[in-house]
Amino acid sequence: MKKFAYYQPKSLKEAYGLMEKQGGNAKYIAGGTDIIWRVKQGMTEAGALISLRGIEELAYIRLNGDLALGSMVPFRTIERDSSLAKAYPSLSEAVSLLANPQVRNVATVGGNLCNAAPSADCAPPLIVLDAILTLEGPGGKREVPIGDFFKGPGKMCMENTEVLTQIRLPKMAGNSGTSFLKKGRVSQDIAIVNAAAFLVMEGNLCRKCRLAVGAVAPVPLRLRDVEGMLENQEISTELLDRVAEKVEQAVSPITDVRSTAEYRRVLSGVLVKKAIREAHQRAGQQ
Amino acid sequence: MKRVIKFILNGNTVSAEVESHKMLLEVLRDTFELTGTKEGCGQGECGACTVLIDGVSINSCLYPVFEVEGKSVTTIEGLVGEGGKLHPIQEAFVARGGIQCGFCSPGMILSAKALLDENRAPSDEDIKRGISGNLCRCTGYVQIMDSIRDAASRLSGQD
Repeated sequence: MKKFAYYQPKSLKEAYGLMEKQGGNAKYIAGGTDIIWRVKQGMTEAGALISLRGIEELAYIRLNGDLALGSMVPFRTIERDSSLAKAYPSLSEAVSLLANPQVRNVATVGGNLCNAAPSADCAPPLIVLDAILTLEGPGGKREVPIGDFFKGPGKMCMENTEVLTQIRLPKMAGNSGTSFLKKGRVSQDIAIVNAAAFLVMEGNLCRKCRLAVGAVAPVPLRLRDVEGMLENQEISTELLDRVAEKVEQAVSPITDVRSTAEYRRVLSGVLVKKAIREAHQRAGQQ
Repeated sequence: MKRVIKFILNGNTVSAEVESHKMLLEVLRDTFELTGTKEGCGQGECGACTVLIDGVSINSCLYPVFEVEGKSVTTIEGLVGEGGKLHPIQEAFVARGGIQCGFCSPGMILSAKALLDENRAPSDEDIKRGISGNLCRCTGYVQIMDSIRDAASRLSGQD
């Protein structure tokens, strides 16, 4: 078993101090459900883990039209928050479909994003909802739009000393709807494909569209070219079929233990179509 | 690094010197000799290591032991009452054939407890969701579902 020291700072300042003392040898730990396994397997090197669990300023939900979400709120809390579910259904759904109850009871949005798996369930909804991430470190604070956050499988734009402290979502426009879908072999599986959609409707016409898919590219992928096909259009079956074709061309899935590239390619188109239909229906219900 | 941690284990205040890289699972089994909690996958997918911390189910194979300081841990051994009297959920599992080899059973029963403590009248969908983090290689889950439905009515009868 790999050995590591374990620190439990009570503030961000204390955490930075511990991180700096450790040199490049330490990693932050949130719920631990990704990183503990990675350390056990030797996939991540860490002589020390610095826990963010004791830093109370990182756990809050401020819903006020818009959303300011502390990065250390456990999924358990998010999935039980009915106001959040009403305001941002795709985020709430993604959280409630992630892993299993035991993992959800300790895991966090911050950890899911920083683990930066292409299949991260929190990513597609946050992408389509235009999330802004706050990163803080000993050098100060910066804000990064989620579109600039992911750099590759397991890679994101943060310095080792930085902590993702907050996820911010703007208020959703009236006549808008958002959805999240995920397909796995079993309910607790990592996604074979996941997808999210956000639509703003004006009567029958789609005025704004955001689409994202995960697990089919090196990063959770925003489908900018596909979005353009829907803007200022009516959402017809014929349009959606063309959308699905374009999605299939936009993704670059791999074959792995969970699925084949073939299946993922076709499924991407199907899930995006379904996500659009669901978001459209929700926009109409507002 | 080593530290003495103090927490509540099955209702009793306990303390132990533990190493920083240990997970709660190892400490429960090796230091406290409570071997009811099992290691299945070690990666948080099989649920054999499930215990309750402050009533909430977690995978002890991925729970850094230092984090348990001051908390209340319940293992399967903690469900058994005075004179070895089984908890109603355990009685239901025995009555309905929810236990075959028994390896998944401690974790499964604790997940059932966490579910029923929050939702005393779960639908079949609720039950499936509640045990979605516990794998069983023997029963095909049919008898487990029966056992949890039975447990729900036993507990409701008690209220």
